[in-house]
Amino acid sequence: MASKKYWKSEAELNPNDSIVETLRQNEFPEEIPVDEFLGDKENLSASTTNRRDFLKYVGFSTAAASLAACEGPVRKSIPYVIKPEQIIPGIANYYATTIANGYDFASILIKTREGRPIKVENNKDAKTNGTGNARIQASVLSLYDSTRLQGPLAYGEPAEWAELDTSVKNKLEGLKDSEQQIVLLTQTYASPSTTKLISEFKEVYGNVNHITYDAISEDAALSAFEAKYGERALPTYDFEKAETIISFGAEFLADWQGGGHDSGYSKGRVPKNGKMSRHIQFESNMSLTGANADKRIALKPSEQKKALASLFGKLNNSSVNVDLSDNISKAVEDVASEIRKAGNKAVVVTGLDDVNAQAVTLSINEMLASLAFNPSAPRFIRQGNSQAVNKLVQDMNSGKVGALIMDGVNPMYTLPNASDFSEGVAKVDLTVTFSTNWNETTEITEFTAASSHFLESWGDAELVKGHYSLMQPTIKELFDTRQFQQSLLQWMDSDLNYYDYIKNTWNSGILGDVSWNKALHDGVFVLESNTEGESSTTNDSSVDQTMDQEPEVETTIEPISSAISSLANSSAEGMELVLYPKIGMGDGQQANNPWLQEFPDPITRVSWGNYVTVSKADASALGLINENVANGGLNGSYAKLMVNGASLENVPVIIQPGQAVGTMGLSFGYGRQVGMKTEMQTGVNAYALYQGFNCIQNVTLEKASGMHEFACIQLHNTLMGRGDIIKETTLEIFNTKDHSEWNHVPQVSLNHQEVPATTVDLWASFDRSIGHHFNMSIDLNACTGCGACVIACHAENNVPVVGKEEVRKSRDMHWLRIDRYYSSEDTFDQDNTKKDEFAGAAETKTGFEEMEIAAVNPQVAFQPVMCQHCNHAPCETVCPVAATTHSRQGQNHMAYNRCVGTRYCANNCPYKVRRFNWFLTNNNDEFDYHFNNDLGKMVINPDVTVRSRGVIEKCSLCIQMTQKTILDAKREGREIADGEFQTACSNACSNGAIVFGDSNDEESQVTELRQNDRMYHLLEHVGTRPNVFYQVKVRNTNEA
Amino acid sequence: MASHYEAPIRKPLILGDKGYHDVSVDIAAPVEGRASTQWWIVFSIALAAFLWGVGAIIYTISTGIGVWGLNKTVNWAWDITNFVWWVGIGHAGTLISAVLLLFRQKWRMAINRSAEAMTIFSVIQAALFPVIHMGRPWLAYWVVPIPNQFGSLWVNFNSPLLWDVFAISTYLSVSMVFWWTGLIPDFAMIRDRAFKPFQKKIYSLVSFGWTGRAKDWQRFEEVSLVLAGLATPLVLSVHTIVSMDFATSVIPGWHTTIFPPYFVAGAIFSGFAMVQTLLIIMRKVSHLEDYITVQHIELMNIVIMITGSIVGCAYITELFIAWYSGVEYEQYAFLNRATGPYWWAYLFMMSCNVVSPQIMWFKKIRTSIVISFIISVVVNVGMWFERFVIIVTSLHRDYLPSSWTMFSPTFVDIGIFIGTIGFFFVLFLLYSRTFPVIAQAEVKSILKSSGARYKALRDAGKPLYTINKNGIVRETIVNNNQETAFSSESNQEESLLSALGSFDSGTQDPDDLKKVKGIGPLMEKTLNKLGIFSFLQVSKMTQKEYDLLDSLTSAFPGRAQRDDWAGQARMFLNNDK
Repeated sequence: MASKKYWKSEAELNPNDSIVETLRQNEFPEEIPVDEFLGDKENLSASTTNRRDFLKYVGFSTAAASLAACEGPVRKSIPYVIKPEQIIPGIANYYATTIANGYDFASILIKTREGRPIKVENNKDAKTNGTGNARIQASVLSLYDSTRLQGPLAYGEPAEWAELDTSVKNKLEGLKDSEQQIVLLTQTYASPSTTKLISEFKEVYGNVNHITYDAISEDAALSAFEAKYGERALPTYDFEKAETIISFGAEFLADWQGGGHDSGYSKGRVPKNGKMSRHIQFESNMSLTGANADKRIALKPSEQKKALASLFGKLNNSSVNVDLSDNISKAVEDVASEIRKAGNKAVVVTGLDDVNAQAVTLSINEMLASLAFNPSAPRFIRQGNSQAVNKLVQDMNSGKVGALIMDGVNPMYTLPNASDFSEGVAKVDLTVTFSTNWNETTEITEFTAASSHFLESWGDAELVKGHYSLMQPTIKELFDTRQFQQSLLQWMDSDLNYYDYIKNTWNSGILGDVSWNKALHDGVFVLESNTEGESSTTNDSSVDQTMDQEPEVETTIEPISSAISSLANSSAEGMELVLYPKIGMGDGQQANNPWLQEFPDPITRVSWGNYVTVSKADASALGLINENVANGGLNGSYAKLMVNGASLENVPVIIQPGQAVGTMGLSFGYGRQVGMKTEMQTGVNAYALYQGFNCIQNVTLEKASGMHEFACIQLHNTLMGRGDIIKETTLEIFNTKDHSEWNHVPQVSLNHQEVPATTVDLWASFDRSIGHHFNMSIDLNACTGCGACVIACHAENNVPVVGKEEVRKSRDMHWLRIDRYYSSEDTFDQDNTKKDEFAGAAETKTGFEEMEIAAVNPQVAFQPVMCQHCNHAPCETVCPVAATTHSRQGQNHMAYNRCVGTRYCANNCPYKVRRFNWFLTNNNDEFDYHFNNDLGKMVINPDVTVRSRGVIEKCSLCIQMTQKTILDAKREGREIADGEFQTACSNACSNGAIVFGDSNDEESQVTELRQNDRMYHLLEHVGTRPNVFYQVKVRNTNEA
Repeated sequence: MASHYEAPIRKPLILGDKGYHDVSVDIAAPVEGRASTQWWIVFSIALAAFLWGVGAIIYTISTGIGVWGLNKTVNWAWDITNFVWWVGIGHAGTLISAVLLLFRQKWRMAINRSAEAMTIFSVIQAALFPVIHMGRPWLAYWVVPIPNQFGSLWVNFNSPLLWDVFAISTYLSVSMVFWWTGLIPDFAMIRDRAFKPFQKKIYSLVSFGWTGRAKDWQRFEEVSLVLAGLATPLVLSVHTIVSMDFATSVIPGWHTTIFPPYFVAGAIFSGFAMVQTLLIIMRKVSHLEDYITVQHIELMNIVIMITGSIVGCAYITELFIAWYSGVEYEQYAFLNRATGPYWWAYLFMMSCNVVSPQIMWFKKIRTSIVISFIISVVVNVGMWFERFVIIVTSLHRDYLPSSWTMFSPTFVDIGIFIGTIGFFFVLFLLYSRTFPVIAQAEVKSILKSSGARYKALRDAGKPLYTINKNGIVRETIVNNNQETAFSSESNQEESLLSALGSFDSGTQDPDDLKKVKGIGPLMEKTLNKLGIFSFLQVSKMTQKEYDLLDSLTSAFPGRAQRDDWAGQARMFLNNDK
């Protein structure tokens, strides 16, 4: 390049040309007439530019220059001085870690971008608890909570760690040999290192009492298990192995006994070789689990106990005297015969907060030698001891406690007798609370130790016996925080840090000859001795035992008899209240998380708050109403709940189909006030009614004045007999009849011949055989409606949170929603029949009006709906500016930049999946959530645009993920294997309900599912040809 | 357009004893005279509504569409309802001016100017909505296929919204040209009468140098005919295309092949109703009863009745087809429309649009001005609800029940709608004060054939022209019927003249009574009619004569006294001497 010469003129050909030379020498070929201008003094002084003008010019140019300097805010990006080895801008890193926050326990992967954790993924290497539910998916956002504590506090004022350490250590030293206890009140850790550390701490300080406290207690189950097996833990259930599942109020698809049972359950629910599991649920609240059951019997908790006792009697062939109504007795008899038929493939579980009930189910499963029941590999994820907590409150009040150090608990919020606790705290000399946020408990303690988020911490957990999981930080502490264990080490004057401590523990006790680095990389580690055919051998042996050694069974039943009789005689006066954790909020520790607040409850579809659920019969007796106001928003009466002296004011009421008459449901996790943003202070605190740590309470309800405005995402509850939206059939028909009968394809008339609608096409199709063609299959049998995918979608795609008011106006922004329908007759099938038999306009009118109302105990169906990516998309043709177009790969694209916001596409979408940005949702001044502050914005996925106002957005089938997969494979020069293509929802779905892939790949799972007999498209007759398809829901109605 | 023979049995289209000059004077009067208090009151209300609407629009654009009541399911409601409603109203103008021109319906001449003005003003209102309903209205120009710097980005010619852009803009521009073409000779007439230089200048500009030569007229006729030919298909195309916004969609209740004819009929229906509403007011306020007669009102009522019946048939056909189709989604959409949560809107629509025009079968009713006015308003209310029903009830419960919800407007929705009504009236009121509101050139063309005066002359076998030797045409020939009707008035007239003295045009010159403060051109004409031509007569007026005059003219009672006409006249008399 440098050798290239451009000729300016012919003269340059001659190197000696004088003109060229002069030109080269003189910058200005002609003399600049400076003298002419400045030399003429006379004219210059006569010039009109006088001093004042000069000052004006100076003034103007200064002003102009300073105005020009006023630019928009500068966002600094500072390059690395020394680039970390692992971080490549634009490339995500994944770290295996563990969430163990005392309520949620799972081995997970964390996706980080440029060092920022931005998403939770399931750890597919984990054999147990490797899946994140909605709360775990959302937990990454809690890391960036702008209300987090940024450093330790002493008496509410910012302090230094050193200061705090000195005070604490001095006090602890003082207490060392005194009468007064040092109490550690903590969450369940299930952590071998922490257990070891606390025992060492005890050695150092002597009089240390470690009390584990679960906000929502599993005390009954733990005690029953402890009594029977000698270990304070919970049995492991694998519902995949069960063919008949009988549940007495066990929410095992949600948080029952620590949760994580749904993926096994789902696998058993997909019909394979003509078989699927049968699930019968006795329960009082309409739960997610009950909604998925083949048969659901609404029953008061007291009657559930009787039914359980009666079932035990029937299975045991002993006579148990219970007074149950005839149809319940009949139901129990049916259940008993189904269990007998299924033998060891049956399992009975209960969620009743009653040691006897828990003991009885353990005995039944033992008796059945249930394959799904495994007491020899117990779960350690709940260890709370409510007696010890009660005793602590007494001890504190009697002055026996000298120091109280709390971690991971918020007793002032979660204790029903919080006032006693606070009185007790006042009598304790030293109180320290480890907490990430300012809360009800930090408010009353002397020292608040700002603790690190789990994504900033080291840790480990033994979730199930022999199944270990490691927690590693995925980001340096954002603030001046320190985790509890590190503090203990500090206070023990240990020079180890907690990382070394864990490493030592693992290397010495757990790992054996496996390397630490490998364990850390995998995040999970399973002790060999535990995996070796454990499930088969232990179970087989137990089968042998129970089958062969009758007398032993007798002996186990002996102590049971008293339990049975107490169950059989259980009674309750008046209304029974069943307290439960919500799918979205759990025990409430993440109440400040906007994703979870806006997450609609899978059953009621209500977001932003809790409510008491009552049956229709009780509601009309008590004068409680639900109504939809003019803009569609749902309103409900307020009520006052009273339990044994404690009362809750202004509890919103939801009339819940399927709620057992005489019962009510109220969820934990809401009603937090302290340290919360005002928008997040939603709902009422159900812990106030959680007396004696029992979920079942006797309650009285009084109607209160006023109406509550709910933010309910789905206002119409029934399917209106539209059987082609959720196609379903029974296992019997599925097994015996041709798919054209139970999966009917709509017909159209073509040349006077009825042909399947799918074969008629107005348009000539493109050649889709080249490249990838993305398809997604959603199995309605495998989907439990848990909603993990909904949050995963939020996190992956930067879906904005819009707040309660907007949700109430039907303006939620969910790209993926899970529709929930109730049947209006007893079953959906009867709905369809009823609709088909309408005769005449009047009957049709009244008939449809009846169908708008859900049945008393309805069938329930869930249907995840996202953009269906129609090959003949109605949205694409109507956009005037071609902002939404189709790709070769089957995706329906949305070009946000091109969108002018006519919303025509949203109107013309038969699935109503398009979402409009009614306002600017980031940096808005209406509603303060994470898109409004720089900290919260750290969760934004840089691969996905944050949409501005006035544009439509919708599911993209995670095009940023599929493109990444394609590019990676291209760079590595290989074919893409099946399973590599994923979306956020398919990744998050541990139940296998959402399968994503390339249908041009003949071998792929999605192609196979596409050719499945159960496959159908949503609203096939509209002719949209979606790339998302569903699998017909099969219900197992085979009565034994 | 020479006056041709018209059967005597036909009722005159121009009532009163009108000659050519009278037509000019009557039609120029609102432009030349001063605005009345009523005009100012109505104008202020309209302006306030308009400004309120402007405020609401600014709020919407600065904050976001979220300030409206829309939601994820009902993405269009009042915006597009208003849009279709205004476009529909804009249909009568072209129909009257173009289609009726081609069909040689002479009665259109009295109403076409205002109908076209109404068309243009309502299309302006309509065009506002597609722009402001956008999420990002500042990018509205993206829907126009203009070369751009965004690479190969082009509009989507499949989208009915794009067709709308073309249809509306074509319609607006053709209507404008057509309207203005017709206005040229009329503006020229006002120009020629104007004496203030500014007004003369303005009217010269807008009349494009019209001279009134035969060549001008010939070209004028040609252009009118060509434009009428061009505009006629537009009458059908615009609302057909608007209907395709819905008809080409997949939503039950929208996806209906009957929409194009049904929408066009509905548009003409609502357009005529709006013309009716406006003209009933205008003929009164601007004293145009002689031009916009009960016969015009009756004819428009018949059009309203017919198109209303067509619309009614369409409603029933829709219901039938929904039932007949056997498609459950379609059936439910229509069942829900009639009996669902928005049943009241459907009832409004049905009763206003289908039932109310049917009373026009009775001649007594369709010739009643009050009832015609009420029905015309009712029809437009009904037509607004028709669009609301189609848009909102179809969307709020479509395929998946999980998305079903309701819509209710916010104050911004309402504010913008009221604002457009205000804007419309602001434009129309300004128009009525500055434009010749009746196509006087055209009206003059039928004056000889259809004017009451000439019909009477013809009937009486008298010549149509009599030229007074002094050049002043005394207007003596009055319709017999009218004479009897006003017999009591003529008594008063006589008593007035007896007091003031009569004026003999043969011997005396008339004075310019307009010099008297308080006597405008209109009043002068009225006085002339009564036989008062000179200052001398005026100067003789006393309290008694003032009262007599008030009872005769019934305009501005007490004004003559207040302004002391007699005193002023005496002054002028003295000055002359």
